[in-house]
Amino acid sequence: MDDMRAALSGVRRELLAREYVVAAGIGYKTVGGKRTDELSIVCSVVKKVPEALLATDDLVPGEIRGIPTDVVETGILRAQLERTDRWRPAPGGVSIGHPSVTAGTLGCLVRKNGETLILSNNHVMAAENAAAIGDPILQPGPYDGGSDPGDRIGVLEEFVPIRFLSTEPSDCTVARTVAVLANALAYLLGSGTRLLAVRLQEEENRVDAALARPVNPADLSEEILELGTIRAIGSAGLGTPVRKSGRTTGLTSDEILQVDVTADITYGAGRTARFTDQIMAGAMSGGGDSGSAVLDAENNLVGLLFAGSDTTTVINPIGHVVDALGIGL
Amino acid sequence: MPGTIQEVKARHEKRLLSLPGVVSVGIGRGRDGQEEIVVGLDRPRTWTAMRMPRRLEGYPVRTDIRGRPRAL
Repeated sequence: MDDMRAALSGVRRELLAREYVVAAGIGYKTVGGKRTDELSIVCSVVKKVPEALLATDDLVPGEIRGIPTDVVETGILRAQLERTDRWRPAPGGVSIGHPSVTAGTLGCLVRKNGETLILSNNHVMAAENAAAIGDPILQPGPYDGGSDPGDRIGVLEEFVPIRFLSTEPSDCTVARTVAVLANALAYLLGSGTRLLAVRLQEEENRVDAALARPVNPADLSEEILELGTIRAIGSAGLGTPVRKSGRTTGLTSDEILQVDVTADITYGAGRTARFTDQIMAGAMSGGGDSGSAVLDAENNLVGLLFAGSDTTTVINPIGHVVDALGIGL
Repeated sequence: MPGTIQEVKARHEKRLLSLPGVVSVGIGRGRDGQEEIVVGLDRPRTWTAMRMPRRLEGYPVRTDIRGRPRAL
């Protein structure tokens, strides 16, 4: 074995200089797909190329200093990437975000007027309506170290504005008087809670969605990490098993526990937005998973994940996203 | 029955959502497999729970403490 190590260290540099060779080590030689008991110098190559097509200098000899060699195809070697890393091409399920947000999840690729676009949430790529069309979209998102222009993967193309419940102090005299009286009573009763007269203007939302246009389409992949490719647009009902691949909690699964859900969702700065006709699953998400594509067991796209609590996940039905943005697969 | 569960839920949800601590109203399935109106609460709420009807126009109502949902 020491002889082999010595031989390898003498030729390693020379082997790695050959085109296609990405690693060299000591291992059992494989012949006809079967491992033998014979030790060899194993060269890992990006791909096996017929001898006739290789320059003489790039050929791995049959033996080196009397030690047999073996050539195995391993493809390009790279360090295991985290979802919060920079990915090129970037699949669905990795970090993305507008420069003014922390980070969310790149959902998937969709088509509009024959063009390929990135789907995620408004609050991930359009900063809760604060962004301008054409703003840079970073992969990874700023919280994960993404910066402009180095990590710019696209530009904001379009978003559906989120309508927030207005919580302006009420100008209604009766409401203000009631609040003053109730607060006086609360004070007398020793309660720490006070009532503020507010006027809730009910504006309803169906989706928290935005599209980005890739700077270079080759920087994106149709794959969703650990889920593969989407088969078709689908829909989910009560009991439908669902899966998502997100920046923070990775691949998770659950089932749809509620449909036709109207929910008040808390956004940044304590603003609230009411969403109607949503679908809800249990605990399968965390902060940063927003924008994840939600798929059923047959890899049909059924929803766009955007909100949740410790025990619940709120999802836009994909039909509403398709209608609001005019997209397809 | 005076309507589908979706219609009954739609008629009552604004009132339910105006009660303290109510964060969602949806349609789920009970242990017996029957559809029911599910009212989500941000935390245990005695005052609200006491005022929650057990049925709305014939459909069962369940309260569920689910926490306050936020954009993730």
